Amino acid sequence: MEQSVRRANFLVWAWTLFVLVVVYLPIACGALAGLSKSRYFGFPVAAWSTDWWTRAMASIEVKTIVETSLAVAGVVTLVSVVVAFFGALAFARYDWKGRRLYQKLVLLPIFFPQPVLGLALLLWFNAVGVQPSWTTAIFAHLVWIVPVVTLVIAIRVYGFDPALEEAAADLGASRLFILREVTLPILWPGVWSGALFAFLLSWGNFPLSLYTTGADSTVPEWLYAKMVAGYTPMVPAIGTMSTLAAASVLLVGGAIALLLRRRAALNAAPAEG
Amino acid sequence: MRSSAAAGTEASAAAPRKPFRLSRGALAALPVGVTLALGFLAPLATVAAYAFATPKTFDVFRSFTFANFAAVFDPSNTVWTSFVWSIGLAAATAALLAVIAYPIAWGLTRVFGRYAGFVSVLFVFPLFVSENVRLYGWTLFFLKNGVLDGTLKLIGLSGPEVLYTPGMILFGMLYVYLPFMLFPMTLGLAMVPRDLVEAARDLGASRLMIWREVELPLAMPGILIGLLLTFVLAVGAVAESKVLGGQSVIVITHDIEIAFTFAQNWPLGSALALLLTAIVSALSLVALSKLDLDRILGRR
Amino acid sequence: MTATATALPAAPATPAPVPPAADAKPILQLVGVRKTFGSFAAVDGIDLDIREGEFLTLVGPSGSGKTTLLRMLAGMEAPSEGVLSLRGVRINDTPSSERPTCLVFQSLALFPHMTVGANIEFPLKAKGVAAGARKERALALLDLVRLPRSYYGKNVMQCSGGERQRVAIARALSHDPEILFFDEPLSALDYKLRKVMEKELKDLHRASGKTFVYITHSLEEAMVMSDRIGVMQAGRLVQVGAPEEIYSRPATRFVAEFMGEVNVIEARRAGGVWRAEGIGELKLIPPPELEGADAVAVVVRPEFLRFVDGDADNRLTGEVFNEYALGSRIQYQVRAGAKTYLLELSRAKAWRGEPGQAATIGWDARDAIVAPLA
Repeated sequence: MEQSVRRANFLVWAWTLFVLVVVYLPIACGALAGLSKSRYFGFPVAAWSTDWWTRAMASIEVKTIVETSLAVAGVVTLVSVVVAFFGALAFARYDWKGRRLYQKLVLLPIFFPQPVLGLALLLWFNAVGVQPSWTTAIFAHLVWIVPVVTLVIAIRVYGFDPALEEAAADLGASRLFILREVTLPILWPGVWSGALFAFLLSWGNFPLSLYTTGADSTVPEWLYAKMVAGYTPMVPAIGTMSTLAAASVLLVGGAIALLLRRRAALNAAPAEG
Repeated sequence: MRSSAAAGTEASAAAPRKPFRLSRGALAALPVGVTLALGFLAPLATVAAYAFATPKTFDVFRSFTFANFAAVFDPSNTVWTSFVWSIGLAAATAALLAVIAYPIAWGLTRVFGRYAGFVSVLFVFPLFVSENVRLYGWTLFFLKNGVLDGTLKLIGLSGPEVLYTPGMILFGMLYVYLPFMLFPMTLGLAMVPRDLVEAARDLGASRLMIWREVELPLAMPGILIGLLLTFVLAVGAVAESKVLGGQSVIVITHDIEIAFTFAQNWPLGSALALLLTAIVSALSLVALSKLDLDRILGRR
Repeated sequence: MTATATALPAAPATPAPVPPAADAKPILQLVGVRKTFGSFAAVDGIDLDIREGEFLTLVGPSGSGKTTLLRMLAGMEAPSEGVLSLRGVRINDTPSSERPTCLVFQSLALFPHMTVGANIEFPLKAKGVAAGARKERALALLDLVRLPRSYYGKNVMQCSGGERQRVAIARALSHDPEILFFDEPLSALDYKLRKVMEKELKDLHRASGKTFVYITHSLEEAMVMSDRIGVMQAGRLVQVGAPEEIYSRPATRFVAEFMGEVNVIEARRAGGVWRAEGIGELKLIPPPELEGADAVAVVVRPEFLRFVDGDADNRLTGEVFNEYALGSRIQYQVRAGAKTYLLELSRAKAWRGEPGQAATIGWDARDAIVAPLA
């Protein structure tokens, strides 16, 4: 029995690692292509070069699309965290009449193919006479990202004992004081991961941006245009940079979360000398 | 239910009637509600309106015709093959992903212990890299003189010509939608109390019986969400067929896109989109109405 | 915010030497209080005067409405009907934050992200008390609830069950309420610790001089601590009285049965004679209010039932089939017909027979409680 359990666990580990290798293989291929000197990719790489990276960094066109992507992701993060924070309270904390229906409404955009949603938004913008640009893309991203962030924060809210807020009110605290001293500090980890999700999902989004940015272009969109017509190793180079940027944000975000938790634990340690 | 509204309606004569106002929950839900009403429901309503407009015009709200649907269902039109491809590929994606993800989800809940968090992050991260970049990586891998072909040539073989085939599209979908199966499934498996599995073993159940009679039924809500999510996302997928499929198969979303862009026939595109939306919503609403989200997401 | 709540709490008042008398003025008054959820009445018409400075315990089985009642008193639910008044002022719609009361939750509801000290100081911080004064007060409260002062900076999640209990009580006291409510706060503790905390709560009640309203499903707990006990059943108060009164003169069969394991014998009057099935003629002394009744429940506690040779008002014969040792006391189960009777004797008076033997058991009429049948 003991041995068969160990064998099963080994197989599970082996399968998981294999799938992980498959998951990261194309990302690695992209990194290789961006570092090879020749204009057309061939393996094994005959000559290496960082030429395409330097060219990408110097390009004004690239600078513009990165700025657009950052602006979209930044605004999406701010708005979606605020909206989703209250959305999560309505989802998981308060008992109210429309809650069940609301929970389902929140899930629907997640359970919906994004390219179709993008096209539908394009039609809608046209119908109300709004010229698509990077600002409309922000709105498009919100439609999908707000529900995701709502769920991320809601999971944290489920673990929140409603008696804590009641107790705080009973002890004479005002609503704002309760929000600042009790609710927010306890939900903070959920809010932080929600913000990370919002930023990174917006940064990497392609299907919604494709139809809703109008003449503007985000990084994934621009890469797609070049893949279809006009490939140079700058495409995988920028793809790799974008991936590395996302990884850094995730690492820094995770490190900050860890640091905050450490500090909280330190504060909580016995104060006596 | 312990909302203040319920108490208000039954207030005795002694208590003054409170003026109508939104409950705290409804107030908190308002921003999300407005976002989704304007960004989700309204666009879908626009699509529905366009679907009944005169073909190849922009006469939305001014004309009403079934001509677009007649065109879709016209036997001479081959658009139904796109539907069949999309639905077939999506069904295969959902079914295969269930098999691929199950051992990993099981590992995340039972085997990986303190590494579970790290392994989860590794599976989440690709979501933050746009799918076209990741899919393009696969063309670099499978390309003639690409990573696979080039490696095999070193030992005197040559790589298989799999790019631009329907099988490759399926592979791309499996690749892109894996996390959408894995995480709901993990949530579902996490809902199976370990005690129950141990009790079943203690009562003499075989491994297969424990899995069939205890683990699977209790984890089913999570597995169902995974199946549903991967199916509806894959049925509307387009990047896989464009990047990896090289037009060997035209999926339905591609048809819709063509109608909206090159063909400039928004009403026809809308009719197709509406049909797709109907399939997706019917599935989602039926499945979601059966699930207790509070329990799955861990309300105490 | 009331005027009393804004003032810094004073040091614990001098001990109240005697429990408040029956004519003490009520601090909290309930008249016809009801709470309905849809068509279900969780609290179904309660009239009660809570006396200033008393320790009142509400007991009842789960679902009897005691938590709902307590939440209404604390201001977390509004009554659907009836009037709730504090010193004669209607407070039905006063929110919990504006009542001079404080609830100690069943879950304790300690803020997990704060230290012990920050938890205790929370109500003071909400009032805007300066940090120095807050700390001073928190340390004094730690002394009062018998926690070491070094716990001030300790993470509240690292405290044991009993310590958390004390922190929760200290936090409630730092709000300086006139009335403290307790919602089964000891239910999560093990037996031994619970016993210690019961006595400490009783001491704390004396030392603070405040009104305590406590709910529990354990009558044993209620007996130890309370000046008065209210027994709840299905949203109603069936009896309110001193512990001794509840124990010796239960108002209904429900109250008697809730008091622990008892023998209940249904008796009917025919032709002026009381009879019970399987026993025959019964001698019993009904209370004045049951003088005219034709059917009653005769409640005999196990310790009043005994093995008899000849002298007992009521007797029956059965088979002794089980014997349980309870430390210094021994219980016997005696089967007579379809009914099983429970006897309890001190070890010194143990029965000398063998299980399976027949025996005659009985009781005297003055030792039985006659209660309404319903």
